Amino acid sequence: MDFLFPHGLKYPPDFHIPPLTGTEILRVGPLSYTNSHFTMLLVGAFLVALAWLGTRQKRDVPGGLQNAVEMLVQGLEDFVVSIGGPRARKYLPLFGTLFLFIVVSNWLSVTPFVGQVELLRAPTSDYHVNFGMAVIAWLAYQSDGFKKFGIGYMSRWFNFSGFKEGAFVGAIFVLVGLIELFSELFRMLTLTLRLWGNVLGGEIMLVVMSGLLFLPGLAIPFVGFEVFIGVIQGLVFGLLVLMYFVLALEGHGDHDEEGAHTEGTAERAASREPHPALQRAS
Amino acid sequence: MEFAGLAAGIAVGFGVLGPGIGVGLATAKAAEAIGRNPDAAGAIRANLILGAALAEGLGILSFVLGILLWTRIG
Repeated sequence: MDFLFPHGLKYPPDFHIPPLTGTEILRVGPLSYTNSHFTMLLVGAFLVALAWLGTRQKRDVPGGLQNAVEMLVQGLEDFVVSIGGPRARKYLPLFGTLFLFIVVSNWLSVTPFVGQVELLRAPTSDYHVNFGMAVIAWLAYQSDGFKKFGIGYMSRWFNFSGFKEGAFVGAIFVLVGLIELFSELFRMLTLTLRLWGNVLGGEIMLVVMSGLLFLPGLAIPFVGFEVFIGVIQGLVFGLLVLMYFVLALEGHGDHDEEGAHTEGTAERAASREPHPALQRAS
Repeated sequence: MEFAGLAAGIAVGFGVLGPGIGVGLATAKAAEAIGRNPDAAGAIRANLILGAALAEGLGILSFVLGILLWTRIG
């Protein structure tokens, strides 16, 4: 018994709950450099190295790593086109980068030693990293909307066109616009917290599961579940950003081209084959 | 302050109730729709993931609230 429980039997055991943010490893003035920054750097280096190695010598008949990289990019492109139509193809770089970075980071949260060694921590389980990505995506799609509609883009938030049909309709339009503006700001928060809550919640669940009974193997099925959740959350983040782009570029109110657009996209989306990653996810 | 743990538990428990029902309904309808029209499975699945993520976001908000309360205990 002493061999099994060197510090005596205690139930429930003291769970080592992971900290909510990264821990600081060095500090320069007001800027602190945390272990999630460091791991983020490693993830970036890994992805860059993968892309570089995969495309170093390009051959007509791809083999090995080049084949894998090409399949990945092709699959992501098919997915983007199936969601937003061919016009959305120019968002592939942003979508693909976010997706790959988030998936690799999520998988780090179930990798041994990450989170135990002081220098390593899964980046997406620190909400600062997620907030950074959400802000970048938010600014990107807002600036795209302004680029397309100019200052008229703001008429979806401050809409006074309803006053032509009477004071009541006008007031409703103004209120709906304000709700729209609020939900626009809220998107940054929900993008951040959805990813953070899922990844950190998964880590906490693994800790609790491995300490709940005296069976270390109890956590192993949940590791598989977390790997699955990691892909789904990466997909969801990218998909939502893509949808926000599509919504920002859509005509608003009684715009002429609105009907034509949305119908076309829906048809295109319906006629495409389902994405392989999604097929597997079912 | 000693009720913060209880508050965290209640917040997460009730907060997860709604999204659970919502995601369940969405999945049921999506499965029905795929059964009715298997050719549109891809589009239905993408929409399902989108809707499920949006519903789940609210549950995650309650989880974050629970964490905020829980960190106030210690």
